[in-house]
Amino acid sequence: MEEILDNYIRFLVSLTPGHFIRLFWFYIFFEFTRYFVIEFIILNLAKLSRYLNRNKYDKAKAEFLFEYPLISILVPGKNEGKHLHKLVNSLKEQTYQNIEIIVVDDGSDDDTPIIGRSLEKAGKIDLFLRNEVRGGKASAANLAYRYAKGKYIVHLDADCSYDRDAIEQIILPFYLDDNIGGVGGNVMVRNYKESLATTLQAIEYYDTISIGRRVTSYLGWYRIISGAFGAFRKDLLDNIKGWDIGPGLDGDITVKIRKLGYKIYFADQAVCLTSAPKNFKILAKQRLRWDKSIIRFRIRKHRDVLSPNKHFKFSSFLSFVENITFSVILNIKWYIYAADMLINYPSSILNIFITNILLYTFTNFLKYILYSLYRNRSHTKMYEFLIYIPCMVFYFGFYLRVVRTIAHFQEFVFKKSYEDPWNPIKTSTHAKEMGL
Amino acid sequence: MEQIENNIEQQNNIITFKGITFYVIEHLDSLNINETINYHAVLINGKDELFIRQIVKRIRSHKNPNIYLKPVFLLKGVNIIDPLINQLIDGTLFSLDQIPFIKKEVEKILTKNEEIQFTRQISFEAQMIVKIITYMYSREMSTLTPIPYYNSDVNYTYPPLSVNFGHTEEYAIFSIFEQAEYDGIFTSEFVDRIYLCSQCSNGRMSYREVCPKCNSSNSKTDDIIHHFPCGYVGPMNDFTNEIDDELDCPKCNKRLRHIGVDYDKPSVIHECLNCSHRFQDYFVKAKCLSCHHDNSVEQLKSKVIRKYKLTQKGIYAAVNGFVTTSKDIEEIVGTVKYDTFKTMLKYEIERLKQTEGSSNICAIHINNPNEIYSVIGSEAQKGMLKDLVRIIRSNIRSADVITFQNSSTIVLSMYEIPKKSATRILAEIIVILERLLKTAFKGVEIQFEINVVQLDYKISHELHLHNLTKDFT
Ligand SMILES: [Zn+2]
Ligand SMILES: [Zn+2]
Ligand SMILES: [Zn+2]
Repeated sequence: MEEILDNYIRFLVSLTPGHFIRLFWFYIFFEFTRYFVIEFIILNLAKLSRYLNRNKYDKAKAEFLFEYPLISILVPGKNEGKHLHKLVNSLKEQTYQNIEIIVVDDGSDDDTPIIGRSLEKAGKIDLFLRNEVRGGKASAANLAYRYAKGKYIVHLDADCSYDRDAIEQIILPFYLDDNIGGVGGNVMVRNYKESLATTLQAIEYYDTISIGRRVTSYLGWYRIISGAFGAFRKDLLDNIKGWDIGPGLDGDITVKIRKLGYKIYFADQAVCLTSAPKNFKILAKQRLRWDKSIIRFRIRKHRDVLSPNKHFKFSSFLSFVENITFSVILNIKWYIYAADMLINYPSSILNIFITNILLYTFTNFLKYILYSLYRNRSHTKMYEFLIYIPCMVFYFGFYLRVVRTIAHFQEFVFKKSYEDPWNPIKTSTHAKEMGL
Repeated sequence: MEQIENNIEQQNNIITFKGITFYVIEHLDSLNINETINYHAVLINGKDELFIRQIVKRIRSHKNPNIYLKPVFLLKGVNIIDPLINQLIDGTLFSLDQIPFIKKEVEKILTKNEEIQFTRQISFEAQMIVKIITYMYSREMSTLTPIPYYNSDVNYTYPPLSVNFGHTEEYAIFSIFEQAEYDGIFTSEFVDRIYLCSQCSNGRMSYREVCPKCNSSNSKTDDIIHHFPCGYVGPMNDFTNEIDDELDCPKCNKRLRHIGVDYDKPSVIHECLNCSHRFQDYFVKAKCLSCHHDNSVEQLKSKVIRKYKLTQKGIYAAVNGFVTTSKDIEEIVGTVKYDTFKTMLKYEIERLKQTEGSSNICAIHINNPNEIYSVIGSEAQKGMLKDLVRIIRSNIRSADVITFQNSSTIVLSMYEIPKKSATRILAEIIVILERLLKTAFKGVEIQFEINVVQLDYKISHELHLHNLTKDFT
């Protein structure tokens, strides 16, 4: 132990700036520059623009509340009956009340039909539709959408809960800009205290996802409207006739809206709390599905965005490149970096490893503390999360990276997502045949 | 006098066969049901079901046991499908020649009827219970089975009981059976469940599936189609085209080929043609045919229909023609149970064997309970009995006890005083009672009979009690 420490101090002393760049190029150029410096600058720009446009926000809100449009809230799902009561009650608390709630039960085999029917009877749900045969999440959403009468469609997950003004906040952006076609809500973790896995996810949602989406939204690159909380213009959904089959339908519908020439906006003040997977095993399954769907929808189904044609739009293209860079190319680059170090500096590998961990941890602390100045809402005390920050380097750097690598490998080589039990086989086989 | 065949004689509407007289009913017009009391049995001569039903009902719903227990036969052997009639007649003849064949049956019923003693009942429930069980005893029925019946407002009929009610009052049978079962006259068994109007307790209803929003039953139903390749879901209507019968997907324009392969129908949806509301689950409403109230099915009163078997206690009560339901006298304070009274009497007689002395038992009998009870109703009856007991109590010594032999006969002890004193005290009580009842129940004249018996250690307590009340009407 002492020997390792001695060795490490000698390594640090001998480090020249040129040498530092050569050994930590990945951290310096990708992680620090892109995911801290640039992000931080843009975050400030976003805040500034929000401040300068504050009159516009007030005007939008006035216009929205004057028009007071009907909003259809769609809640598709299977075996979600147990959550319905709480969900309906949390929607009753909303500041905006011109809503209709449509719940679709996608072939549940538990008490969902009984619960749903009784809520419908009690007038707490406007329409409860049940498919006796499961058709998958997209078909459930499509059935709900087919009978929706609202001007805007809000897509919810039954097991989430919502801030009192969440519906108002997620619809507001449509009145800021006629070119906004879809709005994503800000998803946070409700059960952050449940386990280490949920705490780390809470920090991830808090930092990377929430802040990251504010940045990409400002740049016009915002990619995926979360299925847990998203809003769409009904006329645009009519145009593309609803959701295509998943997984990854959330990302897919966003791409389609972008293709129609509309913007996607992130409403950081429209807050929704979700229950995160409570252990690393379940989390791995969830992330495998998400990561695979990125490949499937970005690269296979919507490859036309990469080549100039009638759908071409520069921001879509950038969003695309950015997404692929982040999730695929970045992943490959990291392996290149690892190989570079292993081949060229095999004797210093331990020291490089330690330094990287220290650098990342330092950045994570810095980001966490600095970004907390930009958050509108925090649902826990800052310092409660601080002690977990050192874990984040392992969470991001190893756990999520390994999961992502497996996902990409499976999807590129085997097109595994078509076999995902998340969709019924009858629909997946069709999607595979058509190369979707 | 006309001789039909050997031993069958007919004179006007009376037929006699070997000492058995039959009263023949052919018309409703001149019918005086009370006349049947003078004959052994009744023959109904007619083909019209309505006519037959009316006669049967008038006989079986009569208050007088000599009429409602009368053997009744149908002449001309028409095929009656009305179960109420079928259950309440004792047989069918094809012609008068067949009278000899029913002689035995008539005699059997008459013998049974003779075994039955009749006492007047306090409550309406008790009267009805006596009617059922005496009829069952007379006809050797051990079980009363409900029959589904289109003429019944509660969907089932128990003929010997139901015949006493107009169809709007039939709901009353449930409380009568409940009371009888509670008092151990019957044991019961589940048969079915019925649903009755929440407003008027009628069981005849028109059930409809209606729109949950506006209650209209004017709606149309469409299949929901799910197109697998593109995930589109919508009603069948979305997929139809104007050219041919094929179905085309409105999202991806593909033709639907084969159910289960490229599409399926996961559910159906109804659309209300009155208010355009869409829904999957109808409300079911039940419109009452009697009061027109449109019940939601949750509102309907549910009742269990049971079949009832006579217990030993029930048979005993039938023979005695008397039922004291617990409802009648159970809550009257200041009294002891009749059995307790008997035990105490037994001990008193034992005691008298050893010691000299005079002890008495007395009885106060209400002579016209039916008249009174039909006027004042069953709640007031109980009040009246309570008053009686209170007044008696305050005029006798605390060591003496009071009991009800039945709801119209009060028995009390007056031990260790001379018979003369007992008679005097009793007479005083009666004066007070009459005065009180006259003010409390105007227009009702209560007639009392009283009796005092001095105890004699040489005879049993049973005989004492018999002697005490045997002369009451
Ligand atoms: Zn289609
Ligand atoms: Zn309607
Ligand atoms: Zn009614």
